[in-house]
Amino acid sequence: MFFDLTDEQRALAETVRDVLADRFDLAAVRAVFEDAGGDGHPRELWSTIGDQGWLAVCVPTEYDGLGLGLVDAQVIARAFGVGVVPGPWAPTVLAGEAVRRGGTRDQAAEVLAALGAGELVATVALRGPGGGYGRSGVRVRADADGRLHGVASGVEYAGVAALLVVAALESAFDGSGDAVGLYLVEPSTAGVRIEPQPGFDATTRLAAVTFDGAAARRLPGSDAGAYADLLRRGAVLAAADLVGIARESLRRTISYDSSRVQFGRPVGSFQALAHHLADLHVAVTMAEHAVLFAAHALDTETADTKTADTKTADTETAATRTAGSEPSGGEAGGSEVGGPGGAEDPDVERPDPVLAVAVAKSKSSDVAREVTATMIQYHGGIGYTWEHDAHFYFKRAKRLAAAYGDSQDHLADIARVTVSPMP
Amino acid sequence: MDLTYPPEVADFRRALRSWLAGNLPEAWATPAFWATLDEDASFDLRRDWERSKTLAGFGGIDWPAEYGGRGGTRAMAAVGDAELMRARAPRSVNPLGLTFLAPTVMAVGTPAQKAEILGPMLRNDVIWCQGFSEPESGSDLGSVRTHGVREGDLFVVNGQKVWTTSARRADRMFALVRTEPGSSRHRGLSLLLIDLRSPGVEVRPIRQMSGISEFGEVFFTDVRVPAGDCVGGLGNGWATAMLLLSFERGASAMGQYTDFRRAYDEIVGVARALGRDRDPVVRQSLARRLVDLECLRYHALHVLTEVEQGRDLGFASSVTKLQWSQAYQGLFETFDEVLGADVGLNRPVEGLDLTALRRESFWTRSVTIWGGSSQIQRSIVAERVLGLPRGS
Repeated sequence: MFFDLTDEQRALAETVRDVLADRFDLAAVRAVFEDAGGDGHPRELWSTIGDQGWLAVCVPTEYDGLGLGLVDAQVIARAFGVGVVPGPWAPTVLAGEAVRRGGTRDQAAEVLAALGAGELVATVALRGPGGGYGRSGVRVRADADGRLHGVASGVEYAGVAALLVVAALESAFDGSGDAVGLYLVEPSTAGVRIEPQPGFDATTRLAAVTFDGAAARRLPGSDAGAYADLLRRGAVLAAADLVGIARESLRRTISYDSSRVQFGRPVGSFQALAHHLADLHVAVTMAEHAVLFAAHALDTETADTKTADTKTADTETAATRTAGSEPSGGEAGGSEVGGPGGAEDPDVERPDPVLAVAVAKSKSSDVAREVTATMIQYHGGIGYTWEHDAHFYFKRAKRLAAAYGDSQDHLADIARVTVSPMP
Repeated sequence: MDLTYPPEVADFRRALRSWLAGNLPEAWATPAFWATLDEDASFDLRRDWERSKTLAGFGGIDWPAEYGGRGGTRAMAAVGDAELMRARAPRSVNPLGLTFLAPTVMAVGTPAQKAEILGPMLRNDVIWCQGFSEPESGSDLGSVRTHGVREGDLFVVNGQKVWTTSARRADRMFALVRTEPGSSRHRGLSLLLIDLRSPGVEVRPIRQMSGISEFGEVFFTDVRVPAGDCVGGLGNGWATAMLLLSFERGASAMGQYTDFRRAYDEIVGVARALGRDRDPVVRQSLARRLVDLECLRYHALHVLTEVEQGRDLGFASSVTKLQWSQAYQGLFETFDEVLGADVGLNRPVEGLDLTALRRESFWTRSVTIWGGSSQIQRSIVAERVLGLPRGS
């Protein structure tokens, strides 16, 4: 039993923080934030990220990657949240995960080595305008020739990406409705149009991508389950970024309120503030645990088999829905000795990734929004200014809280698993 | 991350499950069974069952064998807690002795005290209660007034303790007593072991809002206590009490998770029976409670890791207390939402008896008070964990 980061993972976290403090501090973030017309992709930072191997964590060793997993990736994502770091790290990692899980060996060889080395910026286009995360939110369709038609919205860093992973509806062979597949598209291909979408969180850049008969290559191992799996991985990375934001916002607030004096004493000594900050510390701590557990649940699933892909056959309404999942009631072990595969306590030893991810994303979304709002409130007027850094955290938390399913989407998933199945 | 247990823990789990399957009456798993028993009958049944559990080798799981324990690991103890809850085994009748006094005696007791106290406690031959709180001394433990005056080999104790769990059924009390006349605050205190059958001891039950009387108040009038019945040294009571309370930090939240998850599943069962499981507001409220419970489980695994790595948990135990007590209490606030207009009825529809859950819901109002109220815990987290400046 070891529920914690290893010494190596702690060292990685420290390295990321040190490198960022040295080469990309909040002044650098501000420069990107205020460069409204820019592409939001600082090239020197990107080459540092590539050199450090931070893009290679999930890339298998046979493609020159580090062959680690999401537990390690979430260490980096957390540190990026702490530093509100701009750039296409997360969507590039996710695109790599899609190829690793659903691509052919040739596709993996072509994409993963370059991606891991920082030579390839990639991104994922998983939902359409006004749509949620899930099959019903996809607004791109693949025709019989495998060409794509439709629109994807809110695509991170599409403007600088050399490769897109696109979720597209397909007609199911059995007439049961639309299936979903994942497709590789080069943005330079004819029939692809990219238009920047302005947003309030300038620590990232978003774009709409319109496909008008664009040529695409299908990832043959992809299906609705692979799409749901990719959404879960996105949710874990977003959740990790959110707990990084939350922890750092809490730290900055405590620091400020320990020295800010009013009525002759530091304002942090007033119980009205202190008790609320204590509650937030508890909540952030729980969110950190939940992200670690969810990352581990997905890593364990990866290590077990790839059959999970076929298990998750539908993504009707939300990011992490598993079609046909029965209410488990938490009794996976029951009173029977030994569960599936001999696990004594399968609830823990073989965690349900659907539930684990829903818990992590719901908790971290709520916590990060509350802590960043509190940071503004407990800094008083200065926290509301443009010059102060608080709004970077607040705005990034607001965007990420809704990414890959917001708290309510994930609570709905939890209710489906633990209360009763329902539309 | 490695959430697997070593083979010896898995073997232990299997052995305990098997023993429970053969030795825990099936009827005991139904909440109604315990709700209909009177308190004394319930206590006797639990005491005897717990004794047989110990005699079968499943008591004192992480106690050294020399004290009558199984000599197992902390992980085994945590797994044991969870298995007992999973099987719906009854709660211990000697929890304060087992959780607090036993490890304190193991750490600072004399050889004679270890021999006299530990074995009989494990077999429930002696039931212990804790005497810390007083009418004027709740969260502010340093203000205790109960005092003992030395007369030869004895202390003559006078005063009053309150909120004493199992006071009516306990044989002995470990009590914080002011043994140096004129001392104040944290000085001059001793942890005395008082025989509650002594002349001059009077116990009165306190009826709680749930209707039952687990607590009591204990009055001491010239009660004679041998001066040797002191753990941790005369005048050293504050340090001994802090050591004693620190053992709550190692206590497993794994069993709590399993227990609260049982309550969640029962409440979901009520929601289904009333057709409220399709109400989107109720569903969201339940799901939010489940998030808190799952987080408690992850936290328990993390704390177990810390304990196994030999790290000092320190004041972070306040984080655990805040999380479990508020998750548990909150769950029963959602229970009221589930019941809606039927909240006032014990049997809202045919075949649905809510007496036990209702009693539990009232019980949860106490968990944010005892063992350090949530407000005290928040002050500890703010000052000792977060390093915020102390309030005035």
